[in-house]
Amino acid sequence: MAEPILQTKGLGKRFGNFNANSDIDFSVQPGELRAVIGPNGAGKTTFFNMLGGTTRATSGEIFFKGKAITGASGPHRVHLGIAKAFQTANIYNDDTCFQNVRLAALARTQGTFAPQFFARSSRLAKVDDLAEEALEAVDLLGVSHIRAGDLSHGDKKRLDIALALATQPAILLLDEPVAGMSVEETTKTEHTIKKLTARMTVLIIEHDMDMIMGISDQITVLHGGKVLANGTPAEIRANAKVQEAYLGGHSEDEVL
Amino acid sequence: MQTKRSIIAPAKFVRPTTAARTAHTARFIAIALAALIVFPFLFKLIGGYSDLAAQILLTGVAAAGFNLLLGYTGILSYGQAAFYGGGGYIAAIVLARLTPNIWEAAILAVLGMALLSFIIGSLVVRLYGIYFALLTVASGQMVFFIVEQWRDVTGGDDGFQSIPTPFLAFGPAHIDLTTKLPSLPLGPLGDLSDVNYWYPLAALVALGVMLLVRTLVASQYGEVLGAIRENEDRSTFVGYDPRTYKLAAFTIAGALAGLSGALRAAHDGSVALGTLSIEQSGQFVIYTVIGGVQTILGPFIGTGLIMYLESVLSGNGYWRLIEGVIFVVVIVALPGGILGKSTRARFGFLRALGVKKNGA
Repeated sequence: MAEPILQTKGLGKRFGNFNANSDIDFSVQPGELRAVIGPNGAGKTTFFNMLGGTTRATSGEIFFKGKAITGASGPHRVHLGIAKAFQTANIYNDDTCFQNVRLAALARTQGTFAPQFFARSSRLAKVDDLAEEALEAVDLLGVSHIRAGDLSHGDKKRLDIALALATQPAILLLDEPVAGMSVEETTKTEHTIKKLTARMTVLIIEHDMDMIMGISDQITVLHGGKVLANGTPAEIRANAKVQEAYLGGHSEDEVL
Repeated sequence: MQTKRSIIAPAKFVRPTTAARTAHTARFIAIALAALIVFPFLFKLIGGYSDLAAQILLTGVAAAGFNLLLGYTGILSYGQAAFYGGGGYIAAIVLARLTPNIWEAAILAVLGMALLSFIIGSLVVRLYGIYFALLTVASGQMVFFIVEQWRDVTGGDDGFQSIPTPFLAFGPAHIDLTTKLPSLPLGPLGDLSDVNYWYPLAALVALGVMLLVRTLVASQYGEVLGAIRENEDRSTFVGYDPRTYKLAAFTIAGALAGLSGALRAAHDGSVALGTLSIEQSGQFVIYTVIGGVQTILGPFIGTGLIMYLESVLSGNGYWRLIEGVIFVVVIVALPGGILGKSTRARFGFLRALGVKKNGA
């Protein structure tokens, strides 16, 4: 197997006496579409936040392309190639869609800070191209002049993904990308994500089981802050431990 | 959304050409310059005098720097007096002990206050909202008490008195700034016989600072500041380090406050301890909010309005109360200030006065 693009060893997060995550060994291969699932309180969000750089791990290590990034800040991780989209669309509401992704694309030329006190960004044609590409990838090019705050819920969430894409990530972290979306929006977003996997590694935390089973290459199941199982969708579907823990007594047909 | 989508224009952004932007900048300079030239004449008609006009422009420089923080970065510093007063004391000491050349005093004050605001900024940019504001208050008070206690150098409560009259040196040419300008007989406006070289100097400094702020705000740096103001969390996760951007803004604002304080000290011939006070910090908030945050001329207009009314009404014991009422009325009736959005919507002619959005 190739070197994992993202890997954790013994990763843990402790809040007081509560272990939100403990001893998580996890690895994702380049180009993979990986889903992380688990019942409420399984520690999915904590895990996601540690990968993205929102919260610091209290034990264990995170490696990106073989290098330890456990202590790296959020912005630093973005420049290494780890970008994320949020559970609740996190966008610049007062700007147009194009301005939104342009701000993200501009970061690519700036690093975490650039003392560009005098030069305007309008000269940077590359930033425009990156921005346009990102909007196109999520199918929002047609609304590029709409104020972001006026978009529908689904489009806001896809714009959030475009903000991540504009930073040209090697791995894209998606926190419940279809949460609260209509069936139609979900299908559209699913299609968007599938297209992205041709270009990058994608890691999804999601509740929508139909979607997860349909598009994932590999699934990791978290339970009680620990890894319960790893496997292909078919393997996870057949795993008795997963059914027991995750499905909480429901039959397979009902939930999966 | 569907209907909107179908009527949307193609994605390519139509940007103003370089020529259009140059023309816009030229128009801004023309308007600002015209306003600065006319100001002392009109000011005289309402009972102002040229010394006060110069003081207004010099103080407005600190307000313009403060606007970078409150308006363009969205952070409320309540300790700008530390850098304003600090610049004043440095200039006073330099002029009294080292050189009567105003440029040297001003440059040292600017460098000193840039350093001090960088140090204080490094600590305070870690905090948000009310905690940020409170820490700026605390650091401002620390500077106040250090200067108050260090009597031998600063004069303590009495302030720094009798700064020697500075001069402006251009190579071999020395200009005594208190020299009167050639008198111009201007009919009903009088002959402006009280105008000395301070006013043109103050006007040039003010114009320079307006252009500096305007350029900063339109730059890539200014664009990111706007992004941080609008959504700091998202800005962090597209790869910007908001603390460094804020620290740079805090340092620039501190340096401008230092410049402002230094020139005021040189102009006034003394520095009062009050220039470092929390009340002085509050004045910068009031000047900027009344004039218009996120506008280039607003902070100068707010400074002018309040300083003028203060000079007219200072004999009146109710001045602070009146100032408070003006502040409240502006916030309620003219959100965004005199040059703010709602005012501009009502009075279209104000639109030309250099209102500026980050990155625009």
